[in-house]
Amino acid sequence: MKCESCNKKLATVHLTEIIENEKKERHFCEDCAQKVTNHFPKAPSPSDILTSLINQVSPEIREMSKTTCPVCGITYLEFRSQGRLGCPMDYNVFKKGLMPLIERMHGSSQHVGKVPANAGAEIIQKNELIQLRKELNEAVERENYEKAAELRDRIYELSGNVEDGD
Amino acid sequence: MEIKDLSDNTGEWLRGTGKESDIVISSRIRLARNIAGYPFLSRANLKQRREIESSLRKTIIERKIAQDVSYVNLNQATAIDKLFLVERHLISKEHAEGEGERGVAFGKSETVSLMINEEDHLRIQVIRSGFELKKTWDTIDEIDNLLGESLNFAFSSRFGFLTACPTNVGTGMRVSVMLHLPALGMTKHIEKVFNAVGKLGLVVRGLYGEGTKVSGDLYQISNQFALGKSEKEILSIIESVIPRITSYERMARKALVMESKDQLEDRIWRSYGMLKAARMITSEEILQLLSQVRMGVNIGLIDDIEMQTLNELFVLTLPAHLQKLEGCELDSTQRNVIRASYVRKRLDGL
Repeated sequence: MKCESCNKKLATVHLTEIIENEKKERHFCEDCAQKVTNHFPKAPSPSDILTSLINQVSPEIREMSKTTCPVCGITYLEFRSQGRLGCPMDYNVFKKGLMPLIERMHGSSQHVGKVPANAGAEIIQKNELIQLRKELNEAVERENYEKAAELRDRIYELSGNVEDGD
Repeated sequence: MEIKDLSDNTGEWLRGTGKESDIVISSRIRLARNIAGYPFLSRANLKQRREIESSLRKTIIERKIAQDVSYVNLNQATAIDKLFLVERHLISKEHAEGEGERGVAFGKSETVSLMINEEDHLRIQVIRSGFELKKTWDTIDEIDNLLGESLNFAFSSRFGFLTACPTNVGTGMRVSVMLHLPALGMTKHIEKVFNAVGKLGLVVRGLYGEGTKVSGDLYQISNQFALGKSEKEILSIIESVIPRITSYERMARKALVMESKDQLEDRIWRSYGMLKAARMITSEEILQLLSQVRMGVNIGLIDDIEMQTLNELFVLTLPAHLQKLEGCELDSTQRNVIRASYVRKRLDGL
């Protein structure tokens, strides 16, 4: 059976219209069916399906998907599909998307370890402060107040010299 | 030094020395570093790749990071040479299979190796025999400091050392301790170790790291997290877990000796007999045989083989090592014959 509208393609959509108690059978091809009725939405393309899947699984990707690193040119989507970043700057550019990922991987998003030998004095001090604060919390948790007082004094001493915050 | 000069000996980490070396084969630490001002390798063009390689190579050689440093350009190395370096744990499988300008520098004792242009611009590795994390850390820390004086590493005070894969960001450190756990494997208690270790954020891998299967009852325990804890904290977590696993293994061995002495001894002596008499041994089979005999030495059943010989045979009988030894390419049947005759020679020579 051919489409009753274009009379060319095979009719694959069969509609039953009931207007004032009168029943009418109509036969269209897929394209014409979309023109005559909005009850027959166009089938979503594979990329639409993927996007909607991604949106359900990971809302951060939808938000970040258009972000591109101005330095190396990698997009956030490329990073998510390959699992590798393009340059050190990406940690800033994709920060919003990366933070939850990093939290999940490491259980933290703040470095407390080694600082490179030739990093500026300010960075070295700032990271020492972060490490000391972490130790202070732990000392308080263990109720080791003597150690905590020692750490607090050291933190006061250091924070006088360095601009705090990230 | 040429690669062929290495084929009849092994690195110092196989000497079977160090703490708990009856169970702990080796302690390994690696640090991932990238040079600031360059993209990571997936986005680097040929020129940038070459620049990174040459600046790292020059710094490593100038700074004399180890005794008698050798450098192998992997872009020009043959397939067998690359496999040979993987078998010796001097480079990773990924590094061997990679493309473009890349290489590895290593010291004479093979304790220190530096991979250039692997996943990150630089991967520093130090590996020592036995349970020696403190010494291993001291060595790698010193090398990292030395290189950090001349090189500008990509670093942020928030995320630490910046790496191509966010799983390594922070300290860039992975600690791996290689353990020989035949009794836990035999009694199926190994699953319990996996579960307990997983809860501490540690992971168990096979002999050649990520994605490799377990063979010869050799397991690597390593940290999964690299950020939020200092290097010392990560080390102390692993430092505290390993003795529990080794005493668990010792308990399992004792139980085996008590409960099924005859079967255990039969199994060990049969393996020893196979090693001494077989005319063809596959690479899979030899790992099982060596594992059994190694346990035989540990429980005092066999006393005429050195631990070092057994440890070394795990590496010296691998495919690329046999081909290097013979000086030509061999198919797998030929390798099985050479492998069996090489083992007989090593064991009879004692």
